[in-house]
Amino acid sequence: MRLVEIDNLVVSFPQADGVVQAVRGMSLSVDAGESLGIVGESGSGKSVTCMAILRLLREPPARITADKMQLAGIDVLRADKNKLADLRGRVAAMVFQDPMTAFDPVFTIGQQIAETILAHHDLSKSAARAEAEAMLKRVEIKNPAAILDSYPHQLSGGMLQRAMIAMALSCRPQILFADEPTTALDVTIQAQILQLIKGLQAELGMGLIMVTHDLGVIAETVDRVVVMYGGRVMEQAPVADIFDAPLHPYTKALLGAMPGQTGGRQRLIEIPGASPNPAAPPAGCPFHPRCAEADARCATEAPAFLPVGPARDAACWRLQ
Amino acid sequence: MTGFILRRLASITVTFFIVSVIIFVMMHSIEGGPFDAGDMPMPPAVRDRIMAQYGLDQPMYVQYFKYMWGVLQLDFGVPFQSPGETVLELIGRAWVPSLVLGGLGVLIGTPLGILLGMAAALRRNTWVDYLASAVATLGLTIPVFVTSMILILVFAVWLDWSYASGWSEPQKWVLPIVAYATIPMATYARYTRSAMLDTLNKPFVTVLRAKGLSERKIIFQHVLRNSAIPMVTVFLPMFIGTATGSIFVEAMFRVPGLGAYFVSSIRTRDYPLEMALMLMLTVMFCLAYLISDILYAWLNPRIRFGGRRK
Amino acid sequence: MTAAPALELRSLNKSFMLRSGTGWRARHVAHPAVRNVNLILPRNQILGLVGESGSGKTTTGMLALRLTEPDSGQVIVDGTDITRLDHAALKPFRRKMQVVFQDSYSALDPMFTLAQIVAEPLHIHQIGTAREQTEQALHWLGRVGLHRSYGGRYPHELSGGQRQRVAIARALILRPDVLVADEPTSALDVSVKAQIINLLQDLQAEMGLSILFISHDLSVVRSLTDTVAVMFNGRIVEQAPTEAIFTDPRHPYTRSLLDAIPVLNPRDRRLRQFASREELEAATPRLRHADLHVPVTPSAMAQLVTVAPDHLVEALVA
Repeated sequence: MRLVEIDNLVVSFPQADGVVQAVRGMSLSVDAGESLGIVGESGSGKSVTCMAILRLLREPPARITADKMQLAGIDVLRADKNKLADLRGRVAAMVFQDPMTAFDPVFTIGQQIAETILAHHDLSKSAARAEAEAMLKRVEIKNPAAILDSYPHQLSGGMLQRAMIAMALSCRPQILFADEPTTALDVTIQAQILQLIKGLQAELGMGLIMVTHDLGVIAETVDRVVVMYGGRVMEQAPVADIFDAPLHPYTKALLGAMPGQTGGRQRLIEIPGASPNPAAPPAGCPFHPRCAEADARCATEAPAFLPVGPARDAACWRLQ
Repeated sequence: MTGFILRRLASITVTFFIVSVIIFVMMHSIEGGPFDAGDMPMPPAVRDRIMAQYGLDQPMYVQYFKYMWGVLQLDFGVPFQSPGETVLELIGRAWVPSLVLGGLGVLIGTPLGILLGMAAALRRNTWVDYLASAVATLGLTIPVFVTSMILILVFAVWLDWSYASGWSEPQKWVLPIVAYATIPMATYARYTRSAMLDTLNKPFVTVLRAKGLSERKIIFQHVLRNSAIPMVTVFLPMFIGTATGSIFVEAMFRVPGLGAYFVSSIRTRDYPLEMALMLMLTVMFCLAYLISDILYAWLNPRIRFGGRRK
Repeated sequence: MTAAPALELRSLNKSFMLRSGTGWRARHVAHPAVRNVNLILPRNQILGLVGESGSGKTTTGMLALRLTEPDSGQVIVDGTDITRLDHAALKPFRRKMQVVFQDSYSALDPMFTLAQIVAEPLHIHQIGTAREQTEQALHWLGRVGLHRSYGGRYPHELSGGQRQRVAIARALILRPDVLVADEPTSALDVSVKAQIINLLQDLQAEMGLSILFISHDLSVVRSLTDTVAVMFNGRIVEQAPTEAIFTDPRHPYTRSLLDAIPVLNPRDRRLRQFASREELEAATPRLRHADLHVPVTPSAMAQLVTVAPDHLVEALVA
């Protein structure tokens, strides 16, 4: 049984002036102990995918459909409120982008971690508190007892992100979703947090889904990569293949546009144009208006997601 | 914090004296005196003697200082319209019905309003929301004497469920309490709705769901507490405003409360009573705001435990 | 060296009063944001000012523009000390120095059209007639890669990258000598970052602009700047030509910063060791006289010393 199995996820938001199609047919799977990176730019649908899997979007207005959406074998789409509440935190947990706004400002960190534990396990308050302290220690916080009694506004971003990770892992979930967990942090703290997440993932044998726009984070952290653009998956491959031999034109362009790869002041390779408007995506391949290799077919027919190598798939007519 | 409180107390004292001067001057600037015409015209000689007896023939600043000197010793003088008792005794007597009815009105209306506001926020844009918001708006816009009239008409006359007036037995209190309750209910319904919607949109609520907490726990433990902080601060001033009696409610229901005196003391130029009422209100409101500010600082961890750590 | 540098900062100091301690008994403590910063931005060059949050880099940029007042020190623009000039005397210098910020959304007034936004500096300095101002604004929109027809649009209709272009057009319409760019690409997608970096490079070359580029993103800085100054805890701890910083970092903080940059090679993953802020503070390099390129008087306090041509490091000299 795969830990996460998604087949043809579609998420849309009807609005006054049209329908925003945030995700248009996304499929992925993750096994225990495996880490998957979802990389994409703003508007690609990567964060919405994560939120949709845990049904954290307000439905309505969000409309979520999928041929299959399972977490640890449980059908998430058909799960009722109680089943979902049971799933969240215990089977699958999530770490969010901005740690400063992720905590309730009127409760202490300790109270918020302990309530997560108490929501899923039958423990005494003091036992939950002890467990919370142990978790804080595990995320390398040096004075966990003091942090337990601190309020969120008293801690720095890096500290809060560690606390959020501790909170997410407090019930030993099987899957961890991390939505841009280091985007709001300094580069040295980012490195520490990524190393921490990776270490804990290995220790607890979890499945990890890491959503990011930063290919550097991908290179350091995950085993497999899914590249999203315009609500669709463009390419899927083992991480080494993505960097050694990217096949999809978007992936190639993304890697080429990254600054600082070679020394010296230079002109970077641009990707002309801008991301597609989710309310009015282009026909055919979403990347075709900006693609150097696009032809007539790309503009009219959306490419099928087909194998292009061992354990690799891509959605591009030019690769067939 | 102690510095803050001390500074506020000092400024309240200053406010007190400034208000006393303003009221005193304004009072005496209105044409006419307490013994001029009215029901019993009196010969000028008698009138002058009564004025002298009350010290009303002296220059204004002398009258002011004499009065304030008395105030500092908690002697507010004698009301002209009821010389048999002191001002304090009159206020003490008349305040009881207002306090009971107005106070109960607030204590009942506030939780009702909060529930209404919660229902509206949680069932946003459904008929529950529209109904609750409509009720709240009506409560605020319909004048309280109209509400009182409607209550009397419907419940006392047509349905004969309760009493139209009087205050001698608790059964008679029901309708005036309902009348008093409409304003706090409406105010809190609107406040609660917007405070809760505000909180529900915050990112940490999504995180709470992602942790697997039940929706009920999220609302009652987290959302309500976050929304409550601003709402707590409105309570005391509202209580004071209502529990000092509404002249309209008391007139409609024939309740011998304090409300009527606020207006009658000006009309009859009853200077001691007028001053006492104004000063009392001033001090109460100032203290109410001070307590609210302290409460807010105490409830909000960001103010109570400031500072940033690593 | 012939011409005066475009911008020079001498011994700048700035502290902010912060509350410290629990709310009831809060005290106000002076937090030194910028300590004794010396910086020279030569003409026609791009200087990268790099550091993490709390390093003081943004405050330094604000001081350079006199958007906040230094406690002590001097800001010298094109040879003139502007530190104490009053509003009226400062105005002509404001034409010479412009700024672009990180958040393009809040930098543009949502009630104005793009043409009005870009033309506003001309309006403030009363240059040209209204018609000429609009024409210049449209011309500049074109120069930053947006079609003239965008002039009638509003900021909310644009993407982040497009808004940043508008901010750049507005900053450059006065043809300043110095542009202070505070994290202009941090909020942008990777593909758009590249566009803005290229745009800045092209405009800089065309106009002979000097740019103070403030950023925490070392990769961007590597591709864009000629020189880099690294800030830590309010001080400059290392300064050198860009490639020297990346290939030969001398200060432990610089090294830790470079070490933290993700490596784009999945086969080359390794575990890193991290030093705490306190450890880095204590790790000031100790150098002997022989190590220096330019001799200095020994001192018990750390100072910026030259260890190679144009390469400065904060160190203790025995």
